[in-house]
Parts: sequence; C-alpha cells; structure tokens
Amino acid sequence: MMSRGIWQQKCRNAIRRWLRSCAAQTSPLSPSPVVSLGNSSYIGFSSQPIVSRYAMASFSMVNDKLMDLNIPYSIKRSCFSSHALLDLPASGIVSIPLAQTGEGIAECELLKWFVKEGDQVEEFQPLCEVQSDKATIEITSRYKGTVSQIIYVPGDIVKVGETLLKMVVEESQGSNLTSNAPDDMKSMGAEVCDSSIQSSDLRNSNTGGVLATPAVRNLAKQYGVDINHILGTGQDGRVLKEDVLTHAVQKGLCKEPSSLSVNSVEHFQGEEKYSHTLAADGWQYEDKTVPIRGFQRAMIKSMTLAAKIPHFHYVEEINCDALVKLKASFQEENRDPEVKHTFLPFMIKTLSMALSKYPLLNSCFNEELQEITVKGSHNIGIAMATPHGLVVPNIKRVQSLSILEITKELAQLQQLALANNLCPEDISGGTITLSNIGAIGGKFGSPLLNPPEVSIIAIGRLQKVPQFVDDENMYPASIMTVNIGADHRVLDGATVARFCNEWKLYIEKPEQLMLHMK
Amino acid sequence: MTISQTRNVGLPLMKLVRWKGVPILQQLHLEEQLLRTSSENWCIINDGTNDPTIVMGISGKPAQLLKLDSVLNDRIPVIRRYTGGGTVVVDCGTVFVTFICNKDAVPGLQPYPQPIMSWSSLLYALVFRGFGDFSLRENDYVFGNHKFGGNAQSITKNRWIHHTSFLWDYEARNMAYLKLPARAPEYRVARDHLEFICRMKDYMPRSVFVDRTIKAVETHFSVRPVELEAMETNLNSKFPHSTKLLTEQELEAAAFESHFEKALSHSL
Repeated sequence: MMSRGIWQQKCRNAIRRWLRSCAAQTSPLSPSPVVSLGNSSYIGFSSQPIVSRYAMASFSMVNDKLMDLNIPYSIKRSCFSSHALLDLPASGIVSIPLAQTGEGIAECELLKWFVKEGDQVEEFQPLCEVQSDKATIEITSRYKGTVSQIIYVPGDIVKVGETLLKMVVEESQGSNLTSNAPDDMKSMGAEVCDSSIQSSDLRNSNTGGVLATPAVRNLAKQYGVDINHILGTGQDGRVLKEDVLTHAVQKGLCKEPSSLSVNSVEHFQGEEKYSHTLAADGWQYEDKTVPIRGFQRAMIKSMTLAAKIPHFHYVEEINCDALVKLKASFQEENRDPEVKHTFLPFMIKTLSMALSKYPLLNSCFNEELQEITVKGSHNIGIAMATPHGLVVPNIKRVQSLSILEITKELAQLQQLALANNLCPEDISGGTITLSNIGAIGGKFGSPLLNPPEVSIIAIGRLQKVPQFVDDENMYPASIMTVNIGADHRVLDGATVARFCNEWKLYIEKPEQLMLHMK
Repeated sequence: MTISQTRNVGLPLMKLVRWKGVPILQQLHLEEQLLRTSSENWCIINDGTNDPTIVMGISGKPAQLLKLDSVLNDRIPVIRRYTGGGTVVVDCGTVFVTFICNKDAVPGLQPYPQPIMSWSSLLYALVFRGFGDFSLRENDYVFGNHKFGGNAQSITKNRWIHHTSFLWDYEARNMAYLKLPARAPEYRVARDHLEFICRMKDYMPRSVFVDRTIKAVETHFSVRPVELEAMETNLNSKFPHSTKLLTEQELEAAAFESHFEKALSHSL
C-alpha cells in the first residue's frame, strides 16, 4: 500500500521531468514551474494551456464542472483564490487576472481599489474589493511590486480570468514562487480542485511525504501518528481525515467510531470530491468507471473491516400478527397528522428491552486491547438506503424513549438521510444495527456487522404464510424472518438464541412489554 | 481523554454579544469595525431591531431594488451595508445572527463564499433539527422551498463575516417596499415575495431559536458572553464605516432618475 503511494510519486516526478524537457525544447513553455501564457492561465485554475500541459498527468480539470448533486450541504468542487494570481516571467510587467472566487461564479463587480497606479505593493497586501453574489471579497497581491496600470474602475463587472491590473514585479520572486507560497495557496491548492493538485503535489513532494492537507496533517499530529504510515484512500493515495481517524481507532488512540465518514463534515474541508455515477448515456454496451465517493467509500472501509470478523448467523421466524394489530390500533388512535406509525419503532423498542436482559449484544470489541466494552446506551442504528448510498444513523438511548418518541426520531432521521443532511453525531456512537431490508424485499438477509459493533439484525419482509395450530388447523399468519449476525469472538450461539427468544416474545406478545415497563 | 473532551479543550474562543432591539445601523457599524479591527472571533445575536428599515447590499441601487415612492412617502430608512448580497426589510420581527471569524478559526474551512455558506448551513441544521425541513437553497435558508433567512458575507485578507437576517415574523406591507431583484435564485423565479418567504415563528419559538443557535455555536467554539457596555468603550469611534444610511436627498435623486429614465424610454 505504501509502495503504491511511492510509485505514484515516482510517476508524477517522471511526468514533471518529461514536461520540463518539453519546456526546454518548445517555446511556449517557460522553464519555471509557472507557465507564462498570457492572461488566461494561472495556478489553481483550469485553462486550456494548463490542460494541455498536464494532459499526460491525467488531471481532470475544472472545466468539466462538477455536477450539481442537488445536495444542500455538499461541496462543490472549485478552485479558490483571494490572491490575484499571475503568470510570472523572470521580470517585467505582468498581468494580474481576477482568479476564481467561488465555483459557478463567472464574474464579479469591482467595488473599490485599495491601490493606485504607481503604488508600491507588498506581498499579501489587499489590492481591491470585489463582490460576487452574497460576498464582498478582498483580493490580495501574490507578489511584491509596483502597480503600473489599473484596468477596471469601481462598478465595472470583471469576468473571472480578465486582467484586473498590471504590475511590475521584482525579478527575484520568480524562483521563490513555490517555496514561499502562503498558507492560502496551500489550502487552496490542496483541497478541492484537480488542477491545483499540481501546487500541492510540489509541496508534498518537497516534504517527501504522502499527500495530505495541512488540516489532516495537524490531525495526525494531534493523535501522535506518523502520517506517512497511514494508508491514504483519497485520490492519488491522498490521506484523508477519515484515514487518520481509522488509523487512530485501530491504534486505540481514540474511542470515537470512524467507520462512516460524513459528507457534511468533510465537504468544507475540501478533502473529498463527490460525483454522481454517470447517468446512462443510451449506449448499453460500454463499460463505465464509477469513482468511489462518500457513503460508498465509507461502506467499502466498513465492510472490509467487517470481513475480517468471524461472523455467525442465527435465523428465526417471528409471528407478527399481534404487531400488525398493534400498529393498526396505534394508527387508529393517532391524532397527529405528522406521525405515521410503522412496525419499526416497536421493533426497535422491543430490541432495546431484550438488550437490557442480554447486554453483551450491545457491546463493542477492541481487537488490539482484547477488550469488550458493554455499552450503557442502546444506540440503535437503522440502516437506510438513500440515493447517496447506504447510511446508518442511530437513535440514541432507546431504553429511555417511548415508542412514539422513537417513531418521531426515526422519521426525522429518515428525512435527514434522504436529504443527505445527517450530521456526524447522527451516524456515530451506534451500538447495534437493525437492517430492515424487508422494506425493499427478500425473505431475509445475511448481514455483515457494522464494526466495532458485535451484532446486527436483518429483518425480512412480512409474509402471510399458512401456520398450523395445535389442533392441526391452518390459519394465515404474518411471519417475518430475522437473521442475526454476530461476532463469534464475543457472542456464542446460545446467547444469541436466548436474546432472540426474548425479543420474539415481546413482538409476539406485546402485553409482555407492560410487565417490564418501569 | 475522549475525543469530545479533547475537542472542547481545543476549541477556539468566540465572544458572544446578545442584543435585543438594537438599531440595525448600530449593529452593522459594530460588525464592520470588529471585522476590520479585531483579531478575535465574534458572534452577535440581535433579537429584533427597533424600526422597520430597508437594508441593501453594498452595491444595491435603490431605484432598481425599491419602490421608492412608497419608501419616501412612508419615510422608511434605507441603509447600504458593507457586505454583498440582496435587500431585506427588517424590523422587530427579524432576528440577526452574525459570525465574525479569523480565517483559521474553523479547522479546514476555506475562507471563501461557498464553504462558509455551507458551514453555516451545517450549524443551522443542528438548530432546526426536528422543527422543519431546513436546508440551504442557493444561499438562502429555507423550510421546504420557503425562505426564512437571507445571508451575506464579507471576506477580508485574514477574516470573514457571515451574517443572516431571520424572518421570525414580518409585516406583509413592509415586503411591499421591495421590488423583486433582477437576479434571483432559481427556486424563487416567478414567485412574489409573499409566495416564497415564510415566518420562522410558525416553526419554533423565538427564545428556543436563540438558545439552540448558541448551543450549536458551542459545538465549534468556546463561547464567552460579553456585555455591550464593555464592548462600546473598546470601539474606535473614528472608524470609517462603509455602512451608510442613505439620505432623503439621495433617495429622491434616485427616484427622480428612475422616473426620468422611464419617461425617456416611453417617449422613444
């Protein structure tokens, strides 16, 4: 795995060497890392010259705009800069264009200048203020120099990429371009835009380590882990925040489950790039490559971990006639139009009741420490299939909630999941998982555990089947098949069987709940 | 130490100013001054302003955005603020929440419009959980497809401000002072003001909103309330504010220009 990262590094170095050799031969490319190509090219922003220059490196450029995910909080890929980037020949007058200030923004209104022609300008000094949509943004200078010509006046609309002003830049700054790049450039370069990976690559290759943003490096430092020892799951082997957290959990450095990363947390860190699977293009015979993103990536990680756990499965049938009647009576008495009663909240509550008697099923196993932690809260996760992938939000402390409260909480989590609005708290801290695969179909499933939990329950579809009673008469019964997956390092068949019997009793005889109510 | 404990210890400080009924001009003046002269993180909550006031964005043109005849007739104050964005009518039913942060205050947050907007929506998602179908829709906060919160920002070299005016309640007649802007979010196209906005009071109590907002802020910052009086003595009274109250003369001139242009176009 490490060697993959190193191999990729070597490829990039080879590509750069090839490009430099091209630059030496062909006139349009200067030998410096920044290409002097007139007004339209600058680091960290897509433009034709850069696309062609780095074609060999297979960067997918920002010109193919990220599709709108129609997800309110998701990140939209873009290159940002509040610096007026410039193309830099060795010395002389340079044109400074308005760089991208936010994805989808093609133009800004110039509000005011902070400098005038003839002014000496320092690096990072504010040059002007522009407005785009909702924001006023200060544009600062990347370099030290003298303003030679102001192109626009306040009130003008400036398209992104057009020259804002011209500056006379001092010669010595050209060689210092990459090594003195400010933090803004680093964070801009590293996060989101493919075309800016070049600058972050340079920086990362300079440090000789893996690809990672400063925020992720800080996180690794915080946990005291060597980032070079962490397997990166991002593009080009980039180490992401979730990689650090997973590594820390495995090392026992942190207790917080990191099995599911969250779009909403990562997106503003800019470490992830998301896209939809491409829509069918009408050609049925072509293969499609689907990039791994978001929930899918989390699922891969989680299931890879789960595959290492010795599972066993226990299957049982539960007669749900009483449950069907109960649900009907709940709905009949229901006066709240916002509340819709389903089977699941009752199953969640009875599951919690059974867990109170068999708490070992509500535990976590730490392989490194060889320790079982019996969890005090019944945080029951409900697997949900959303358009964005499989996600498992959990209802906290079910033992202290009523069935009605569970109904409301479940409905809310479902809404949030569909809208991709779940927050990290919703999907972490789960202690056991319920997968109602029967809602889609199937007699029962054979679920894989959701690490670090030790049990998972898959519920099949409710089916009306003939049942015999004692006098050998048949009657129709609503039967549901459940499959309990369990970690055989922690649980044995007998424990799971007894637990299941207890749960089955509550479902088949709901009045038993009253007996145990506190 | 568990992660949550570690995170609390490491949270950056944010000073909290809680006001009620402070004039919006004063609030905007304070905000801009803190943005440009302070090096600390601030949260300002102004629970309602005093008089109905129109607040335009930094490049707002009264003739394009306002029904000037009514505005002048009813002597409604018009302010042009220092941040970008659109026009709002604010009054005692508006709740303002402002964040002023150093660019590295929120780990990993890039100081650019969209990331800040998204981050703010995550924070408010915590606030509105269980109270409505909240989301960020093209820079507006909505329940479903009805706007109840408008946003604006200003980003400087090392800091940023994101402020929101929440329509806890509003008077329909006040909305009538505003024209529909030429550039509008897609979900609002072909909808009148009263069609695309909603009242937050239909979703949650006012005090609950303020309390939950503070609680949500506490997930990112170590919040320290500060008193207004102490604040005021620290402020530099010579600070050149960009936020301006437009004079009656300016509004009349704009109205005249607008009438003149209309007359001219009709005569051609």
